[in-house]
Parts: sequence; C-alpha cells; structure tokens
Amino acid sequence: MNQKPVIQLDELSKVYTVSEREAGLLASMRSIVKRKTRDVQAVDRISFSVSEGEIVGFLGPNGAGKTTTLKMLSGLLHPTGGSATVLGYRPWERNRDYLRRMTLVMGQRNQLVWDIPVIDTFELNRAVYRIPEPEYQRTVDELTELLDLAPLLRKPTRNLSLGERMKCEIAAALLHRPSVLFLDEPTIGLDVTMQRRIRQFITDYNQRSSATVLLTSHYMADVEALCQRVLVIHHGNLLYDGQLSGLADRFAPFKTVEVELHNGAGDRQLAQYGEVMAQSEGRIMLRVPRVDTASVTGRLLAELDVSDLTVQDPPIEDVIEHVFSQSPSPLDAPESQKDQSE
Amino acid sequence: MYYFRLFATYVRVGILGELEYRANFWINMIQSALDLGVALGGLAVVFSHTDTLGGWRPEELLALIGVYFLIGGLIRTIIRPSMTQFMEDVRQGTLDFTLTKPADSQVLVSIQRVEIWRLVDVLIALPVLGTALVRLGAQLGLIDTVVFGVTLLCGGLIIYSFWLMLSTCAFWFVKVENIQVIFMSMWQAGRWPVSIYPAWLRAVLTFLVPVAFATTVPASAVSGRITDANLYGTIALAVAMLLVSRWFWRVGIKFYSGASA
Repeated sequence: MNQKPVIQLDELSKVYTVSEREAGLLASMRSIVKRKTRDVQAVDRISFSVSEGEIVGFLGPNGAGKTTTLKMLSGLLHPTGGSATVLGYRPWERNRDYLRRMTLVMGQRNQLVWDIPVIDTFELNRAVYRIPEPEYQRTVDELTELLDLAPLLRKPTRNLSLGERMKCEIAAALLHRPSVLFLDEPTIGLDVTMQRRIRQFITDYNQRSSATVLLTSHYMADVEALCQRVLVIHHGNLLYDGQLSGLADRFAPFKTVEVELHNGAGDRQLAQYGEVMAQSEGRIMLRVPRVDTASVTGRLLAELDVSDLTVQDPPIEDVIEHVFSQSPSPLDAPESQKDQSE
Repeated sequence: MYYFRLFATYVRVGILGELEYRANFWINMIQSALDLGVALGGLAVVFSHTDTLGGWRPEELLALIGVYFLIGGLIRTIIRPSMTQFMEDVRQGTLDFTLTKPADSQVLVSIQRVEIWRLVDVLIALPVLGTALVRLGAQLGLIDTVVFGVTLLCGGLIIYSFWLMLSTCAFWFVKVENIQVIFMSMWQAGRWPVSIYPAWLRAVLTFLVPVAFATTVPASAVSGRITDANLYGTIALAVAMLLVSRWFWRVGIKFYSGASA
C-alpha cells in the first residue's frame, strides 16, 4: 500500500469564466459590447493521491466537479490553480507518452464511428496508438472473450443497442492497454445485467493489469461493487476521502433501528424513541441519532415486548443524499462578480 | 511516415465503410458527369462565339476545368467530410476523444473522414486534364510540368489551410457549418479564370476566399502564362497560410481546453 502514487493532485483548481446574458433584447445588445462574466469555481483546491492498482470511486451530484476533475487529469482542460501529476506527467501538457498510457471513457459520449463496423474503429485506434499487429490481435481476442463481443464486431455501431455499444466503447478504449483508466459514468443508462457485466470486467481488467482506475457513477451499486475507497466531492470541494464503509460513520448522524414486536405496536407512543420511518404489522423502522443508539435500544428492549431488533447504518444512497443536502447551496458557492470590457 | 500510414488506414476504413452504400457511387458518378457536362457545355457555348476568353484559349480553359475538378474532388473527398465531422465533434463534445489520442490533433482532425466515392471527381478530372495537356503539349516542357505540380500542391494547401481556419472558428462559435456552404458556392466561381470577373469579385476570389490560387494559378502554369511573381507569391502564400492556420488551430485548442465545460 505504500507504493508511489500514480495519480497525485495538489490543490488542483478550476475556475470557469462564463458569460452571463441577461434577458431581453436590449441587455443582449449591451452584452455584445460589454460582456458581463462570472467566475464559477468548478473545482476548488482538491488534493488526493491514488496508488497503483487502486479503484477509486468519485461521488458527487451533477455539477459537483467530477467530470471537470477527470478532464483535467486526462489532459483536456488546463487547471487554473494547483498541480497534478499522473504517471509522473502533467496531464494537460498532453505528452504523447502519457496519452499512450491512459484512457478516458465517457458513458454519455461515443468514440466509435457511427457508420462503420466496430472492428474498423478498433483498426483506426490501432493505427493511432501504433499497436503492433500481434499484440493488437491478442488484445482484441482477449477483450472479445471477456466482453463477449464476437457477434458485435462486424456490425456498424449504429445497429448496436446501448449496452452493446458501451461494451465496444470500453474495448476500443482499452486496446492500447492503458495503465490508468478514467471512467466517467461507464454504466449510465444500462440495464442491471449489463451494469454487472461491465463492473465484473473492470474488476478483471484491474486485477490482470493492475491498472489504476478512477471512476464516477451515479449508481451506488457500481461504487459498492468496485471501490473500496471513495472520494466525495460537492461544489468543487473534497468532502471525504476514505473507505466506503466509513462514509456512514462520518456523515450519517443517524442509524436505523428495526424492531419486531410480539404483540404489535398497538397505540404506543413510538415517536418517543425516534423518528418512525416505516411501520407495518409488528415491524417498525426507527431513525435514531447515532449517539443515542445504545440508550434507545436499551429502552426499547426494556419497555416493549421485542422479538427481534437490528441496528443498521442507513443505506449508502441515503448517506450520500444526506451529505449533498447538507452542503452549502449553489448560491453560497464561492464565486465573484466582475465586469469585463472588451 | 506514421501519419502517412495513419492516413492510409483512414482511407482503407473509408473504402470499407462506403462499400456499404454502393448507391452512393452511382449517385456521385451521375452528379460528377452532369457537372462535367455542364462545365464542358459552357466552354463550347463560349467558344462558339469567340476564340479567346479574357485571353484564355479553349484548351487552356479545359485545363482549368481539369484542375477545378481535381482540387474540388480532393476537397469533397477529405477536407469537407473531415471538417464537417470536426464541427460535429465540437458540438457534441466528442472532440475530447481526438484530443486524448497520442497523435497530432490537427492531422487527426483533418483526415478523420474519407468519402471515397467523391474521388470520382478526381477520376473525371484526370482525362480532362490529360486531354488539355496533350493539346497544349507542344509548349509544355519539363519545367512547366514541375511548376504545374507545385502550383497544384500549393493551391490544395491554400484551400486546406483556409478551410481549417474557418472550421477552427467552431471552437468559439460552435455553429459555423454555414460558412462551408458559402465557401462551396464561392468555389463554383473557380471554374472560370478569375481574370474574367470584375475587379471587386476578382479581389474577393483572390484575397478573401483564395479560390483563384487553387484553380486559376495552376491552370495558368500549364498554359505557360504564369509569371515568376505569381509562382513565388503562390508558394509564399501556401507556406504562410499553412503556418497561420497551424497557429490558429493551436490557439483554438488552447481556448477549448481553457473554457469548455
């Protein structure tokens, strides 16, 4: 675990300058001459490091800065502050040797050429990455087997279903056997089976080639299955960096206590124990502040005819939701107004 | 060498891809034949009334038409489809994939689409050009041929650079397809020597949209009417435009990576 980090960010920041157009014709005309711009802090001094072979999940709501960070790490965007190195390179210098060792997969965007068979796009990537023929053949065979691509390769991309296309997208992105993978929502829009398939593949690839993976996803199932470590980002700030299992301890101030009563709840005042989240027959779900968990369970056992009792962390989705709803609203996010005359 | 091989791969994939749409071949064939018919018919009409047009003799104009189809064919085969794809990529954000490739982004963008059937124009151009050259043969020495080749190359590069600069504007304005349409209609004017046009239009076709350099100049090279000044000017312009378009492309990329979300 004390390997040299593959990905290292140090106070990495990105501020976008966006032009604001006011409503109305007159205001629009005015904006041609004098444009009003606003700085938006998309990523705010983020620091973390990832070691070789790690799979790290990047969590955050839409607009949190995940994609911006991935884009800076894959060399597409220049940061406005701080620094980052991946495999020892500064990504945005776009050194060819660096680009040859990393890959970017975007679930919402296609790199496969729409009208030609998948294998031909592979062929183009082979030429671009200068992959020697035997190695290329070996990789294609391997990916074909792992992702079950055989029936798809000869079809034009436009004839593939979303899931099939995603499998081919991932394969196309891995032909050059990159050692760093940036996956931006690789399972978006896919059905559960296909999601599981892709997840399994990412795990396999990671184990076979000890590649380092940084991935974002809206599906907690992806993150739970793939990542031991998660980064939580919100409004450009890194809120959490650690074990997935530690997220609840850190952020969820509540636990869920589920009790089953022998004689049903009757008309007892359950609200005195905690917030009643669900109640059916003899089963009651209570939300109890973390610090009170012990005393509340004690009281429940003493005062009620309990047949079963379990204490759980809330589901990870709820924890995440809780984190995001607690953070500052977009209006409070750091930004500054300034006028620019052009 | 690497980029040459890369280009060959794009061409091969282009051929394979387009084999799926064989009807395209016939449509292009008919379209090109019609275009050529109209062009030759126009020549016939003009020269039934006069012996020279703005100082150009029939076979010289035939050479011009040959050049017009040759360069036009190359534009339609590589430049236009690639640049159209590039603008599409900017709009959809898929340009990101091009930029994460370990190759020169300008080259990748410029050769990424090959509409192979458009080569029909080139195939048609060759016999036309050949006929014209044979008829002009008596006056055409080795040096003239070399000069012709050089001007042809320069003309192609000038048009390419010009088109690249237009397309690069997509980084700022996103929607610039219409500029291409305007360019293609200006290009039509290139089938006649620019010297027959009124001064203002000649200036436009020379300096604003450099059509003249791609058609009139090479054609005047085969007919031995090119001056040294014209030749060196064309070469200088080609080099300058190549450098400027390259610089502009880099500025565009820099802007893209600084601002795009």
